[in-house]
Amino acid sequence: MLETRIRNLLLEARDYARKQGLNAEFSFHRERSSLIRLGNSAIALSTAEELSRLDVSVQEGRRVGSWTLTADITSFDQLREALNRAAENCRNSLEKDYEPIFGAVEEPVDDTTGFDPRLETISPVAKSELCARVIKALKPRGTYDFSGSWSTGATEMYYLTTANDHEAYRKLTDGRLVLVLKDQVKKWELAVEKTQKRAGEFTAEEIIQEFEALLPIYEKNPGYKTEIGNQRVLFGPQAIAQLVSLCVWGGFFGRAYEEGRAFTSRNRFGDKIFSEMVTLIDDPTNPDVFGMPFDFNGKRRRPFPLVKNGIFTNVTYDSQTAAKYGKQPTGHDLNNWDLVFGTGTGPADLKSAMELAGNALYIPHLHYVHLPDPTRGIFTGSSRFNALLIRDGRPVAPLFSSRITDSIPNVFNNVVAVAARSVAQNESSTYERRAPEAQSVPAWLLCDQVRISDVADSF
Amino acid sequence: MNICSTVEKTVRTQLKRMLEAGCSFADVRFYDEDRTERLVLYDGNLEVNYQRWEKGIGVRVLKNGAIGFAATADLNAIPECFDRALANAEAAAQLLGFPKDMGSAQPVRGKYQPRFQQDPFAVPLPEKLSLLKRVDEKLKDNTVEHRMVSAHFQKRRIFYYNSEGTEIERWVLNTFAGMTVMARDKDGKAQRRSYELDSDGTGTRGFEWLANPQAFEVHTERIKRELGEIVAAETLPPGRRDVILLPGQGHLQVHETIGHPLELDRILGYELSFAGGSHVKPEMIGTLRYGSEKLNAKVMVVENSPGTFGYDDEGTPQYEYYLIKNGILVNVLCCRLDLGEANTKAGRVVVARSGASARAAGFYKTPIDRMTNVCIEWGNDGTLEDIIRATENGVILDMPVSWSIGSNREHFHFGCEIAWEVRDGRITRVFKNPTYQGHTLEFYNSLDMVGDRSTWRLFQVANCGKGEPNQIMEVGHGVPVMRFRNVLTGEGR
Repeated sequence: MLETRIRNLLLEARDYARKQGLNAEFSFHRERSSLIRLGNSAIALSTAEELSRLDVSVQEGRRVGSWTLTADITSFDQLREALNRAAENCRNSLEKDYEPIFGAVEEPVDDTTGFDPRLETISPVAKSELCARVIKALKPRGTYDFSGSWSTGATEMYYLTTANDHEAYRKLTDGRLVLVLKDQVKKWELAVEKTQKRAGEFTAEEIIQEFEALLPIYEKNPGYKTEIGNQRVLFGPQAIAQLVSLCVWGGFFGRAYEEGRAFTSRNRFGDKIFSEMVTLIDDPTNPDVFGMPFDFNGKRRRPFPLVKNGIFTNVTYDSQTAAKYGKQPTGHDLNNWDLVFGTGTGPADLKSAMELAGNALYIPHLHYVHLPDPTRGIFTGSSRFNALLIRDGRPVAPLFSSRITDSIPNVFNNVVAVAARSVAQNESSTYERRAPEAQSVPAWLLCDQVRISDVADSF
Repeated sequence: MNICSTVEKTVRTQLKRMLEAGCSFADVRFYDEDRTERLVLYDGNLEVNYQRWEKGIGVRVLKNGAIGFAATADLNAIPECFDRALANAEAAAQLLGFPKDMGSAQPVRGKYQPRFQQDPFAVPLPEKLSLLKRVDEKLKDNTVEHRMVSAHFQKRRIFYYNSEGTEIERWVLNTFAGMTVMARDKDGKAQRRSYELDSDGTGTRGFEWLANPQAFEVHTERIKRELGEIVAAETLPPGRRDVILLPGQGHLQVHETIGHPLELDRILGYELSFAGGSHVKPEMIGTLRYGSEKLNAKVMVVENSPGTFGYDDEGTPQYEYYLIKNGILVNVLCCRLDLGEANTKAGRVVVARSGASARAAGFYKTPIDRMTNVCIEWGNDGTLEDIIRATENGVILDMPVSWSIGSNREHFHFGCEIAWEVRDGRITRVFKNPTYQGHTLEFYNSLDMVGDRSTWRLFQVANCGKGEPNQIMEVGHGVPVMRFRNVLTGEGR
């Protein structure tokens, strides 16, 4: 449970809000983050941040106001002022045409199972040493430079409201390592990514092996400029995670669905919208994901199927959208979900997947994806790290930067095979506050008739 | 300086201590007040009513050629924050490549405050909401299915100190606003038309800008009318044609394919694992033909822009300089830290001084190379009407819907809200779902008409993402109307 001093202050603030007759929600976020950033085979930056944030929200009928504070929480006076500011914002707010669903912790949560103190305190020296081993092993092979980043940290989230006496608390650690190997002459880039929940989940040797598996094909062959048109594509984990994110964003948000802006809006639950090999679920119990047990409306998060064997099953409703459209909230008052793309029956390893693919493009990483047309699920993005041309079941050349512009329904309806093995793909961001997020995706996904819309003369 | 005397005294003591500990440089940013307010009306409902307040310090030290950064919101733990920054630098020095070097700079003492009349945070919330509600009411129409009106205000008071004796107090004040109307077309596809608060680069940055009916409210009727035209239009047929970018689209084109690839940290490979690299190499500075002779890209100190802030987060005063002059790449966006590395890699001096581009998104973020006001100088090819008259087969494009750019910024794909077909010097009809794609250098080399001052507008970008840890930054782009020849447009499957 949260440190006693701060917890007591927040409980006191809740009591104060009740005495004032306020419907108040308190959400406390604390992070201890550190990151090393590599460039040109050296550490370019080493950072450490210790930050506390408090979000206070007050609701009165159809009005809502909030106040967020990023500062060290040391006294009840700070909390009282934050509460008063939120209450003032609420009073001065506008009435909505619906009554928002006020947050209440559905059941007490005290979850520290995802916390590893060794990962929280891993030193920049230890990170530096691991990276140095990788660089030392591979840099002499060619005109190579390494860049990347390794972010680790601990995050605490604590939520309570005046609606009841329950508290919800989560503390976890997370890490993400991305190492990029670039040939300074030929300009290609390879990347190895690692997702961490605990310290010691990977070694320098494993990273070296992953690079070594790809290096010969890149070292011995010139880049290949593929043709514009429809092609068979073998997607890798990061690319699959990007497709899943686009799919959920474009098709499974309740508001977009209700307003006819989702590519699923013309469908009804029970319709077949994708290949039967596609199953998507928001599942906080999956061992690959970070697993957020509650949302910031107090809902207990449980497995929530979106697509089962290609059948449209659900869309998500945050509490505001649910209130607006007379639905029940689905536990999605949060930004970082626990998305799972169900595994299939295809071989686990990439070599066998390539043999199965025959002639195809291997695109494990998609860069800068966007949805030009969410109503039809049309997306665009370009290949990046580790992309290969596959001929007769074997990788034969590195692939120049190739742009895919296609629709999610088309890609997910043309699935040929899905790996039996899952991979944890870290999708976290640190734009404002530390927000661990990972997806569980199959190690590869083979799709036919994927539209390549542009190709470059370079990597 | 009005900085809280206890913090000031502590900071000065700690900066001195860092030099004694062997650091060659140290600096501190103390955010005494960092406020953000976001208000979003969606279909008349106030769906976002968000206010944030932050306070804390960020410390950066340079020791043995390596940078360490630490931040804390606990102002009673400033010495410990310096210790963490120092430890981070010492750890980074164990895997050192090209040693970081701040060069030398004369101490600067200064103060900066943007021009404004009404502090948005002093304006009562009901007054702000009343304005947004009024705009929302004006957006109502039988043809409009959904409406959004938003305002976003920022106010920061930042004290900067470094070990060279530089001491700067500056204020940041930004006002952003936008409005969007949405409806489905006959195919069931959601279409939209929007307006973002822009200017001719002059004026003040306070609430008065937004409250001026001629600046914001005036656009309601136009975007409703144009949405009706989009909904009734056909999809832009694929094909090659001339593209005329209005500043509403041109600013993002410049942002993504001139601004980002000319950030020195991207050029040097420090952003590879996240935002990406650049097709530009240090040795190309001074020689690369980036575009036609019509292309003049310049960092400007614009009166009314979020990219104007007086001094950057290393204390360098802002100034104006060309990035691309008559189509030739002549400079890049940089801070003090990487000049030596760029010049060494180029084998000559290609970047002579900091471009005052070191910017951090908050006290808990470290400064990185950032855009400020990356602008395109207006040209002498006349007004928009003149450019239309000179076009046989083209489309005029406005406002981004989607954008996707290659990792080295070498190619791009944009979707826009609206296209007006131009045939034989006249606008003939509206198209929906316009997209275009191209390769950066080929595209800018096809630039053949640049509009005059009357076409030049300053657009604000409030959400430029970059860096690890990730940062969101506000920048400005002043661009004229530009015509590009023979561009691949539309989608065909």
